[in-house]
Amino acid sequence: MSTDTPADADSDPKDGIAREKLIELAEEFHEQIEDGDVPRMTLPTRTKSNIEYDEDDDVWVYGDRTSTRSAKSVRGARKLLKAIYTLEFLVRQLEEGRSSTLRELYYLSESWDNEEAQFNDQDDSNQLVEDLEIVSDVRREDFHMRPEESGATVMGPLRIREQTRRGEREIHCQADVGEGGYQIPNDPDTIDFLECDAEFVLAVETGGMRDRLVENGFDEAYDALIVHLKGQPARATRRLTKRLHDELDLPVTVFTDADPWSYRIYGSVAYGSIKSAHLSQYLATPEAEYVGIRPRDIVEYDLPTDPLSDSDVNALESELEDPRFDTEFWREQIELQLEIEKKAEQQSLASRGLDFVTDTYLPDRLSEMGLL
Amino acid sequence: MTSFQSELGESGGIAEELAESQRAISIAEFFEKNKHMLGFDSGARGLVTAVKEAVDNALDACEESDIYPDIYVEIRDTGDYYTLVVEDNGPGITRGQIPKVFGKLLYGSRFHKREMARGQQGIGISAAVLYSQLTSGKPARVTSRTNGSQTANYYELVVDTDENEPEIKREAELSPGESDLAGQHGTRIEMEMEANMRARSQLHDYIEGTAVVNPHARIELVEPGLDEPLKYERVEEASLPAETSEIRPHPHGVELGTVRKMLEATASHSVSGFLQEEFTRVGRKTADTVIDAFRDRRYGRELAYRPPLKTEVADLEPAVRAAVSNKRREATAAFARDVAERVDDRERVVHHQLRETVAAAADEVEGDFDTRFGDTVREKATAAAWHTLVGGEGRRSDSRAKSNDDDAEDRRVAEFYRLVDAATTDRKADATVERLAERLATRVAGQDDDRDRVTRTDLREYVDWAADGVEDGADVAVGDTARENVVETVWTVARAVPDDPPKVRHLADDRDAVSDLVDAMRATDIIAPPTDCLAPIGADDIEAGLRKGYDADFYAAASRDAEVSGGDPFVVEAGIAYGGEIEDGSADVLRFANRVPLVYQRGACAVTDVLKSIGWRNYKLDQPGGSGVPNGPAVVMVHVASTNVPFTSESKDAVANVPEIESEIELAVREAARELKSFLKQRQSMQKRQRKQDVLTEILPEMADKVAEVTGRDRPAVEDAMARIMGNVLVDRSVDAGDEVDRVEIAVENHSETAESLEVTDIVDAEPRELNGATAVAMDDEHFVRWDVEVGAGETARLSYELPTGADGELTVDSVEPAKLTVGGDRGDR
Repeated sequence: MSTDTPADADSDPKDGIAREKLIELAEEFHEQIEDGDVPRMTLPTRTKSNIEYDEDDDVWVYGDRTSTRSAKSVRGARKLLKAIYTLEFLVRQLEEGRSSTLRELYYLSESWDNEEAQFNDQDDSNQLVEDLEIVSDVRREDFHMRPEESGATVMGPLRIREQTRRGEREIHCQADVGEGGYQIPNDPDTIDFLECDAEFVLAVETGGMRDRLVENGFDEAYDALIVHLKGQPARATRRLTKRLHDELDLPVTVFTDADPWSYRIYGSVAYGSIKSAHLSQYLATPEAEYVGIRPRDIVEYDLPTDPLSDSDVNALESELEDPRFDTEFWREQIELQLEIEKKAEQQSLASRGLDFVTDTYLPDRLSEMGLL
Repeated sequence: MTSFQSELGESGGIAEELAESQRAISIAEFFEKNKHMLGFDSGARGLVTAVKEAVDNALDACEESDIYPDIYVEIRDTGDYYTLVVEDNGPGITRGQIPKVFGKLLYGSRFHKREMARGQQGIGISAAVLYSQLTSGKPARVTSRTNGSQTANYYELVVDTDENEPEIKREAELSPGESDLAGQHGTRIEMEMEANMRARSQLHDYIEGTAVVNPHARIELVEPGLDEPLKYERVEEASLPAETSEIRPHPHGVELGTVRKMLEATASHSVSGFLQEEFTRVGRKTADTVIDAFRDRRYGRELAYRPPLKTEVADLEPAVRAAVSNKRREATAAFARDVAERVDDRERVVHHQLRETVAAAADEVEGDFDTRFGDTVREKATAAAWHTLVGGEGRRSDSRAKSNDDDAEDRRVAEFYRLVDAATTDRKADATVERLAERLATRVAGQDDDRDRVTRTDLREYVDWAADGVEDGADVAVGDTARENVVETVWTVARAVPDDPPKVRHLADDRDAVSDLVDAMRATDIIAPPTDCLAPIGADDIEAGLRKGYDADFYAAASRDAEVSGGDPFVVEAGIAYGGEIEDGSADVLRFANRVPLVYQRGACAVTDVLKSIGWRNYKLDQPGGSGVPNGPAVVMVHVASTNVPFTSESKDAVANVPEIESEIELAVREAARELKSFLKQRQSMQKRQRKQDVLTEILPEMADKVAEVTGRDRPAVEDAMARIMGNVLVDRSVDAGDEVDRVEIAVENHSETAESLEVTDIVDAEPRELNGATAVAMDDEHFVRWDVEVGAGETARLSYELPTGADGELTVDSVEPAKLTVGGDRGDR
């Protein structure tokens, strides 16, 4: 392989850039070894304490603290070897104009001749790709790496055009889809928005609640674009949500369970996640608002609850110190929850009837928030 | 016994009847019946014990004559019996001695000596002879040739068990050609006995142990189970054990009976002389201290009283004056005044001091007045003065107030009152103290001897009596501590008596007095006995011995200073061998006493007990359950050397649990174990380092390959990065090729955190020039260019020289741990 004549890298200029950046990284390692230096890779520290608020973009990004993966330790050396193997693989993939999933990369490593370079588990390879994203300043999508599946869906009055591998497709996310809705592709940047009748985006945590809203025709009744988050949202889901907000000017609301883990789902939609803080500007929607369920709702509607476990309490307490939740609203809600020591699921609204959520709760909350 | 009882009423003839069957038995006969006591309880064991006794004797004999021992042991299976042959190159035994040494039990040169030796009682080898004759019926065959003798003496002999005397079956003088002896001098014994080889492993343990602990000896074993002789060669630099000297007994280690015998035998007349002559570590000062302690025990001390104050009724002057009659008035007055003044100068006075005082005053007055103050006058004056000092004899004063205006107060009570009050806590009621003082005074006054002499034992009894009486009459307690405090206080102000101790000839017959003397000797601090009676192996030779016996990775040894137990000095030594060819599993424990391996009764031995009690995990050895013998490829040896090793039995298999010895065993083993620990720690960290290096040696080149592939550049050299990562010393040789000469540069980069000294040698095939401080040695066709360099942490040294163009070189680096070294490839740009 040589640097000068990439055979088919010209097909997409973005691929060429990605490849260049990866090779630059390899050159850096080359120089380190040649100079008799310890090979190393410096990354921002990816922990909560190194997350800072970016006032320009209203999102949370990595701070100045860095950690170094260096060959000084056996562990570090193994990581670097894996990084270099992965880097080589990505360069070749880009040259060949192909793509693969993170999981495929994991299995592919099994075929590498050097056992030290093989991944121990999927987290290992996922993290490495993220590392390379950060140091090369190229997004994973531009490496042609996909997550295995996102499966997240959209349902609502929106017409789009998707650039698929099999050609362009125009789809209306209400009329052209089944009850399951339109499935968000791995790279939502391949979508063009054609026509939008939606008034706002309602991002829903659980599949059960999303199905209830669709069954009750909430999207039609309120011109809502219902985005199913499927738990902690995938990058594609967050990217699409951000585009809906930025490009179509739709207000974004998030509807989850009332427990600390669900607040983090909202946090990652609105401000970005700790793992992908390097992409916050690209993924986060700081304007997203939290609909519920709020701890206050538990009290007000006297919802059926479960007691908080110890880990719930710890998570709530750590959220009190999380810069993403450092607002009056969240402090009040979290403190209230710690006081009542209870949590509730979205479905608990069913205790007041199956239509309560669509007829009463959401219209009330959305009106309160000035969206209806 | 019932049958005897039925006859009891009938006649008194039983005792006579019993007496008829009672007779003296010889020691030989006794051991014939009690073979197990000497280690001959079975055929398997008997053989091992016989080997052991014969070899121990041989070693002792050689060392006594400063001969490096050469010992040959052979066991032959001769069908019905086994034949044991043990031959040494010792000094040989003179003709007359041979039968007794081998044919009489308890015949030996060492039993009475206080000196370290393998054998002590003179039982072992004759017991082996006895065992062989009992089981095979055949006599032992002994050949011995003394140094310088032209012929060897040959005996066939047995032990006459009735008489414990040797019985010679055959006797001959053999020429060197006829005798089986290999050397110019030495002793050979052959015994046939009923035996078997079931104890082969113990036999081998014994021989191996003997070799380990006697690095100066050469030992060879031939037995039916061996394909070729088992040989342990002499360690070249090992020295003969230091010659031991016999020591006199130490005062702390003798019994009453022994002291009486010594008193009968001594040539000294005085006790002081006796102590100094017959005991070790006793000089004049120590003898005096012992005699003082003896006096205290034998005669007691004299109680001390304060001189009367002016305010007291008691007044020495008139009392003395009244006691002197028929002397000139002025002389008497001067004498009395002088006595009173002299007493008054003292803080306290005891009876013999008063007598001396009176004598001094009398001498004075005799000179001044030219009159004679004879013994009678002096006696009377002393008695009167003493009477005044102690106050009325046995008088009870009912209250202190009363005694003030009455006649002489009881000054004994007053003295005891002060002492008891000082000795007891403030909380004791005044009445209690007073009652105690009165009762004590009563007992002292009641003694036959009016000099107020008491022994400490007496004093304690008086105090107990007084205290019991006080407790009886009132609801008060005088506890043990209080009583002991009173005794101590009174004893401290009492004074030793001036009496001379009895002469030795009187002392020997006086059991009680000897007992007091033994007590006094034990109570006196006396420095430990000298240790030249011991010949410890020494740490170096222990290590050499372990090296001889085991092919291990690590050896450590410790030799403690001598200590004393029961008057016998002893030294404990320990050694540890670890790793290498030593088998894994429970560590081997080798026990030795006076250089003799102990192979039986491991579980009953103090050495084993101590080893089990040590927390071996602290020393990085595996120890399941945290106690017991540790696991691992290790050998732990312990040697106890003493003038009298305390064994648990006559067969000398196990060291008894004597606290002083146990404590030294522990300290010695721990000392060696600490070295093992640091070795294992070092090894662990080196192993870890080596593992890291192994992994990185694989990873770094792979990384270099991959980055070269991706970037399309040349593969970068990884050695520098490697050395930096490992904190290693990197030695890199490069050649700057020229037209006529090649310039060789060797860079030594120290990436570690400590300074490193290295020995760098470049072996080249042409003559080097411009050496710049290197030494060059030519050998055959090769030249060794060598530097000794020291490189500080983080520094680089550059060594250079010149070679004819095209010469080849090979770099070697020594004196750095291989794991800490990276030798770079030849990266010359030739």
